[in-house]
Amino acid sequence: MQNYQFHGPRTVGEALNILSERGDGCRIIAGGTDLIPALRNEDILPDSVLNILEIDELTGISEEGDTIRIGPTTTFTEIIQSQVIKRSLPLLVEAASSVGGPTIRNRGTIGGNICNGSPAADVLPAVVALDGELELQSKALGTRIIPAAEAVEAPYQTRFNRDELLTGILIKKLPSETRYAFEKLASRNAMARAYMNISIVLKLDEKGAFSDLRIVPGTLEAVARRMSAAEKILMGRQPEDSLVEEAADAFVGDLAGVWIPDYKLPVARSVFKRVLKRALNGSGVE
Amino acid sequence: MAGKEDKVLLRMKVNGEEAEVAVKPTWTLLRVLREELGFTGTKKGCEQGDCGACTVIMDGKAVNACLVLALQAESKEIETIEGLGTADALHPLQKSFIEHGAVQCGFCTPGMLMSAEALLRENRKPSLEEIKIGISGNLCRCTGYTKIIKAIESVSQKNREALTPFRGQ
Ligand SMILES: Cc1cc2nc3c(=O)[nH]c(=O)nc-3n(C[C@H](O)[C@H](O)[C@H](O)COP(=O)(O)OP(=O)(O)OC[C@H]3O[C@@H](n4cnc5c(N)ncnc54)[C@H](O)[C@@H]3O)c2cc1C
Ligand code: FES
Ligand code: FES
Repeated sequence: MQNYQFHGPRTVGEALNILSERGDGCRIIAGGTDLIPALRNEDILPDSVLNILEIDELTGISEEGDTIRIGPTTTFTEIIQSQVIKRSLPLLVEAASSVGGPTIRNRGTIGGNICNGSPAADVLPAVVALDGELELQSKALGTRIIPAAEAVEAPYQTRFNRDELLTGILIKKLPSETRYAFEKLASRNAMARAYMNISIVLKLDEKGAFSDLRIVPGTLEAVARRMSAAEKILMGRQPEDSLVEEAADAFVGDLAGVWIPDYKLPVARSVFKRVLKRALNGSGVE
Repeated sequence: MAGKEDKVLLRMKVNGEEAEVAVKPTWTLLRVLREELGFTGTKKGCEQGDCGACTVIMDGKAVNACLVLALQAESKEIETIEGLGTADALHPLQKSFIEHGAVQCGFCTPGMLMSAEALLRENRKPSLEEIKIGISGNLCRCTGYTKIIKAIESVSQKNREALTPFRGQ
């Protein structure tokens, strides 16, 4: 590994000062589960590394009215064990449970998953499906909030400025009766990066028709985004089998040729149907 | 703040004792444990977080020592296999691993034991499924896992019995 200077600030203010002074050569480290392998491979050669795990303000889960605020250094284990998340954002529990194994979940953070910008991230697409927002802070721009859907520009490249720190993930509690499902397809049940994952959040009105629907796959495209073609077909209509088939065609049609080879499309199609059916059959949040 | 080439003093607790060691910022906790402090029971496998051979317990949680920068361990409490039991006073998990033939080459064993110990501290009576998840980050090339799972299950079972009140005849 190339040598670098190590910074261990205790407050967001100190961290922002260091980021503004050190500029481009400074890399933030949280759980390090993505960064340390990249440092070892010398994929990145920072001249300083800024540890944010000792900044108390950046960790933990709190409720602010109808919004849940998740500190970026909150680990997957903490998300899985949180009663607040279990009750109001259970989709995140499913996505976080699918990451790595226990040691990776004890160290890996939700902020790191978002900021790493990997196409194979499991939790980032779930945050997008939940319409999450990201709070960014820097000395230059102060505080700004952007939709999680806009965080990643290209694989491993965020739209954040180099001196910006992700300081909070803000997600509205799911309204009662919202249904959800997350599915991941990988070579093994644990310790395996996703071949594909799909997050779905939906609501049916009193007639049983889709009144809210967000479908966000991971790994199937360079950057996680909502599958608007499939969403459009389903919205306002009742989930009959023929409609689900039509939506599945639209789902893969939207993907075709962009990021995954054609031979994987039938698999994506059947995972889509499976996760949609699971969401429809689920009991929904209270 | 130290310059780029300088070593920095790291203070942490390892197996209950204060450790003070000058480290380079690029070093991992694994390197410090093995090469500076001599805790070679913690194994170095993939150094990528994939094999679990380097598993130690940090502030109560199982972590991959190869994925922690040494300086991130400042003021933390680290437990390695050397702190689990001794040759004369084996830990119940160590005894159970021997009784069940859960050790072949032994390379994965320290990491397996630390993962199992972290699991049993959070959950004294894990189910079979919970045991499988608990060690899902630890690779074993020899045993086929069955005997390792049986060894952990047996300790879980003893915990279960110890916690079951005596009901008489
Ligand atoms: C063995 C193994 C298995 C894995 N399995 C999975 C898996 O199944 N699914 C999955 O999604 N991921 C997986 N990962 C990847 C990784 O664990 C996750 O992406 C994790 O969420 C990264 O979080 P971290 O805190 O470790 O990030 P770090 O490695 O500390 O940081 C990652 C990137 O984000 C930046 N960053 C971190 N926090 C901030 C912040 N607050 N503000 C600005 N930038 C920030 C860093 O500079 C760095 O570029 C795996 C990794 C390993 C080693
Ligand atoms: S050496 Fe750390 S996980 Fe393999
Ligand atoms: S006993 Fe040889 S790797 Fe597990």
